[in-house]
Amino acid sequence: MLDSLLALRGFVLLRDSVECEGRSLLKALIKKSALCGEQVHILGCEVSEEEFREGFDFDINNRVVYHNLFRDPLNWSKTEEALPGGPLGALRALCRRTHPGPVTIALDSLSWLLLHLPCTTLCQTLHALSHRDFCPDGSSSVEQVCVLGLLHEELHGPGLVGALSSLAQAEVTLSGMLSQTSASIVYRRPRQRPTRQTQCFSILPDFSLNLQGVLPLESQPHPGPPTTQVDPTTHLTFNLRLSKKEKEAKDSLTLPFHFSSEKQQALLCPGPGQATSRIFYEPDAYDDLDQEDPDDDLDI
Amino acid sequence: MAAVETCGTGAGGTGFMAAATSKNNVTGFQRKGPRAGGTDSSGSRLVSIAGTRPSVRNGQLLVSTGLPALDQLLGGGLAVGTVLLIEEDKYNIYSPLLFKYFLAEGIISRHTLLVASAKEDPADILQELPAPFLDDNCKKEFDEDTCNHKTPEPNIEMKIAWRYQLLPKMEAGPVSSSRFGHYYDVSKRIPQELLEASKWHGFFLPEKLSLSLKVEHCSLTHGYLKLLNFIQSIIYEEGFDGSNPQKKQKNILRIGIQNLGSPLWGDDICCTENCNNSHSLTKFLYVLRGLLRTSLSACVITVPSHLIQNKAVIARVTNLSDTVVGLESFIGSEKETNPLYKDYHGLIHIRQIPRLNNLTCDVSDVKDLGFKLKRKQFTIEH
Repeated sequence: MLDSLLALRGFVLLRDSVECEGRSLLKALIKKSALCGEQVHILGCEVSEEEFREGFDFDINNRVVYHNLFRDPLNWSKTEEALPGGPLGALRALCRRTHPGPVTIALDSLSWLLLHLPCTTLCQTLHALSHRDFCPDGSSSVEQVCVLGLLHEELHGPGLVGALSSLAQAEVTLSGMLSQTSASIVYRRPRQRPTRQTQCFSILPDFSLNLQGVLPLESQPHPGPPTTQVDPTTHLTFNLRLSKKEKEAKDSLTLPFHFSSEKQQALLCPGPGQATSRIFYEPDAYDDLDQEDPDDDLDI
Repeated sequence: MAAVETCGTGAGGTGFMAAATSKNNVTGFQRKGPRAGGTDSSGSRLVSIAGTRPSVRNGQLLVSTGLPALDQLLGGGLAVGTVLLIEEDKYNIYSPLLFKYFLAEGIISRHTLLVASAKEDPADILQELPAPFLDDNCKKEFDEDTCNHKTPEPNIEMKIAWRYQLLPKMEAGPVSSSRFGHYYDVSKRIPQELLEASKWHGFFLPEKLSLSLKVEHCSLTHGYLKLLNFIQSIIYEEGFDGSNPQKKQKNILRIGIQNLGSPLWGDDICCTENCNNSHSLTKFLYVLRGLLRTSLSACVITVPSHLIQNKAVIARVTNLSDTVVGLESFIGSEKETNPLYKDYHGLIHIRQIPRLNNLTCDVSDVKDLGFKLKRKQFTIEH
């Protein structure tokens, strides 16, 4: 379910495309998380802060902490506003926060970060963000961080998208027409089979989610059209089935290699009733009784 | 090759014959030098290591992979000094299971473990190892499992082809006292006292990397270099390569590396097709094999090969490992609804079996093998 995405701690990947943009869904999830009282940090890289904050209420705007990388990504102006260390420094600073309580971190967008950082560094930092087990002071006990990352999937090759998907706990792919957008969600829980769901939703102007029905899974193909089965046993000249009497007769048959006790006795001590077998032979006219010279050409 | 008798002792007379001389010596010829018995257990100077056995084909020392069915497919077990590469399935559900079987077998046989991962803490991995089946209640568990089958037909004793009943089946039940290859219950965790009694070393990459933020430029990825140094230091300090003469009994080091090649290790072969350090993983495997061949250790690596974009890299990685096993799960593919595969969760492909000191290798005749994960067990059938 879309609304339970935030309850799933860890890294959630939102994949959007040109047909169906994902920033509004991201903002809706941010609004929901802010209303729940969680801390929200946004790393904005693609659009300006004003444009991002547009549509949010006053109290939500006060609650979110916005890290602006759009205005001065390379820190040329050297003011305190700009984030030191560039994108990587900003991400690492987010890793190091030690506030207790649930935190939601929204990355807008991962595509921008992938253009500025090597993929492996980003993956390692994302992993560190979503699992904060080894905090230096050891204060964060359970991972309570939810990282929402927006990825424009057309900008990247399949390998990159695959690598990020394998890191994610849930992956939401957006698709849809003008009237309806649908999200196909794949939950990857560790050591469990992944589950898939498709849900239609729409986003209202004030960025609240309006969930519509859940589509049935499309991965159930219909069984092929039933072909008329030809029964090969219809016109046979022999009998395939045994009647009961025949079955009994078959079971009681002693097999030649079956060594029953009677057979053993019969072989060991031949009874008087059994005649020993004999061979009767009458020599033919052409038979040669001399074994040594079969061709008869030795003149002895 | 790390055959037991040549390692560390340096003794001559290594030409052991397959046909061991019988106890009552018929001939007057005497063998000079130490009696290096491959299959002969009365070899005086050899100390047999727990949990290993020599192969019946070529005398190579084998360890169990933890799954007796897999041992059978690999020709008796995993040879000491070799690498078993497991190609992960798409959603990484079944390959960690094989990984854990290997480690659990190491704990039961009292081998030393080295667990390396970039994703999970090795201590957490060890907590989730499956519990072994104990001898007394194992038969009961097995009967329970088979009774759950819905097959109504009774076990018909064969009357005409009765000789075939004497043939061993593919998956035999647990042998009560087998020192090689144990059965594990996946639904239970390994008891804590076994874990505490075992000796293990962990390598968790984010911990090691966080200390040095500066990335050095070298041909091997930083993470791989650290891992190789770690493995080498363990092998040297604990004397698995015979360098420090071990006063205590010889033991095997079981190395398990998880998710090698994924971006979390710092390697970008999964991300792009033409990557900067495309030779990093292959160099790592080469150096690792060199380390393994000169020490008493066996290694299992899982690689997400479905993510690797460059086919040439997959081929090179396969060639550089000794044994390669691929897992293909049916989840999400059209094979899930194929009635042929309805009992199974996936296919297991044995892609390569090594030829160690041999010209031929022991490839099994059966090519299509499927696996299924029952509630308690992972079974391989054909």
